[in-house]
Amino acid sequence: MSESEPTLQKPNHQTETPNYDDAYDAIVVGAGLSGTAAALTMAREGLDVLLLERGPAPGTKNVFGGVLYTPTIRELVDIDDAPLERYIAEKKFSMLSADGDETAVSMRPSAWSDDPHNDSYTVLRRRFDEWFAKQAEEAGVTLITETTVTDVLRDGDTIVGVRTDRPDGEIRAPVVVLAEGANSLVSETAGLKDRPDREDVAVSVKEVFKLNRETIDDRFHLDGDAGAAYHYFGEGAVGEAVGGGFVYTNKRTVSVGVAYRIEDAAQGQTPEATLDAFESHPAVAPLVRGGRRIEYSAHAIPEGGADAMPDLVYDGAVVVGDAAGLVLNSGVHLEGTNMAVESGYHAGKAIAAAIEDGRTDEAALAAYPRDLEDSFVVENLRHYDWFHRTIATDRQFLFEDLPRALADAETEYFKMDRSSKEAHTDAARERLLDATGGWVGAAKRAWRFRRMLS
Amino acid sequence: MSTAHPHVPDVSTEDRLYTVKYRDSGESHLGIENADICTECTTNECTSVCPAAVWTVDDDSDGVPSIAYENCLECGSCRFGCPYDNVEWTYPKTGSGVVFKQG
Repeated sequence: MSESEPTLQKPNHQTETPNYDDAYDAIVVGAGLSGTAAALTMAREGLDVLLLERGPAPGTKNVFGGVLYTPTIRELVDIDDAPLERYIAEKKFSMLSADGDETAVSMRPSAWSDDPHNDSYTVLRRRFDEWFAKQAEEAGVTLITETTVTDVLRDGDTIVGVRTDRPDGEIRAPVVVLAEGANSLVSETAGLKDRPDREDVAVSVKEVFKLNRETIDDRFHLDGDAGAAYHYFGEGAVGEAVGGGFVYTNKRTVSVGVAYRIEDAAQGQTPEATLDAFESHPAVAPLVRGGRRIEYSAHAIPEGGADAMPDLVYDGAVVVGDAAGLVLNSGVHLEGTNMAVESGYHAGKAIAAAIEDGRTDEAALAAYPRDLEDSFVVENLRHYDWFHRTIATDRQFLFEDLPRALADAETEYFKMDRSSKEAHTDAARERLLDATGGWVGAAKRAWRFRRMLS
Repeated sequence: MSTAHPHVPDVSTEDRLYTVKYRDSGESHLGIENADICTECTTNECTSVCPAAVWTVDDDSDGVPSIAYENCLECGSCRFGCPYDNVEWTYPKTGSGVVFKQG
């Protein structure tokens, strides 16, 4: 790991890395959404870009829920040819108790059926990321796979390139874009950011189930390219942890998973047992019944919000995407892909302008954090920063008491017996007020969570 | 009393990992910084946060986990989960490790 040869040798046979020193304006570390968006943006601005990916192909190391949000991707590429699975025609938010109760709100605005479908599509990252990186290559980006960046190169305090695990694998360029994802080893090794606390990182485990297309259409009430995004909360989704479960329909597969704080897993609630319980909940099991498991995957998700964001710009380097902690989880909004692309896009624009001016120091690159700060990305993170703290302190009420109380109230309210509707209403109200701590408690909680929908 | 969880999934960790494609590098990208810390540790967070049974502590191992690195899904949970920052975590070399086909 401590190769200290200062310069690259000229390549003399195929196993050696060719000499790329100063052949490129920028090196991008990681061909995920943020890295490829940055590379593509820079290439479109006329820069020579080297995109490095540690996996055998882009997407081979990438996992998400997931829904891809495409407003900015659509500015960069023609997504008509993209390997999209289904557009999101229905969103469902569902509360599950550990006793098997479900209370859900589902929405299918007809506007979502119209092109471009609210820029929300399920995708599988292996296919999509590979396609996206191909668009970057067609725009002139040089993609090199199976190459792991192990550290940055410095000249004094300035970052001047990267060290890779290839023989003589040091590569120099004026700017390095760190788009290495949630496990940002290079940024941490280089001292650009601290390892996030385990309270601020979620573990997600996911399985992809193979079902035939008609079965998915029938089970989820879908036609054509329409798809469903179901989000689950409560003890029936993730046990005693803070987090949630999800079910997303792809064309011929269904993605099922859970995501919750690593802190909760460390306290003993293991990811697999949590996934087992979610998949066997009576509200979820019938959706994937008979499906063949075709892939199990896991990933970390940075969920520290605006407070946990590292500095985004250094002399000769910027940090984008998950490495910069750009993931939003407000309970209702679960976003990351759009923020990754947006950060790559702004970083790419800022780098192109800086290189045009012949400077790549921190001040010259400062347009990136400034533009990101002014964009929806940081604005949304700040707006919902309160959410994680609040949800953790109210976990028992939200995840255990409320799902049960709602189910009990529903049972009372719609009861078929020989008592009056008024008696049923009274009983239902009592169940709810028991859980909320009376009218005062209900009002306090409503006040505390008012910003969830604002 | 409760009718919850009638469809307990009949699936083991091995079944799940069998669906995952890997390229074995032949050497572990995971390690332990200081085994003495593991001997002192009684909580073994590494074993409970890992979704792929990479970390196991046997009775006769003095509390030091064994590492089945070839199961690793590269999620990084152990790196965050260890309260002593005692997990040595590197990316697998030159394209090896997990190769997701779906993601």
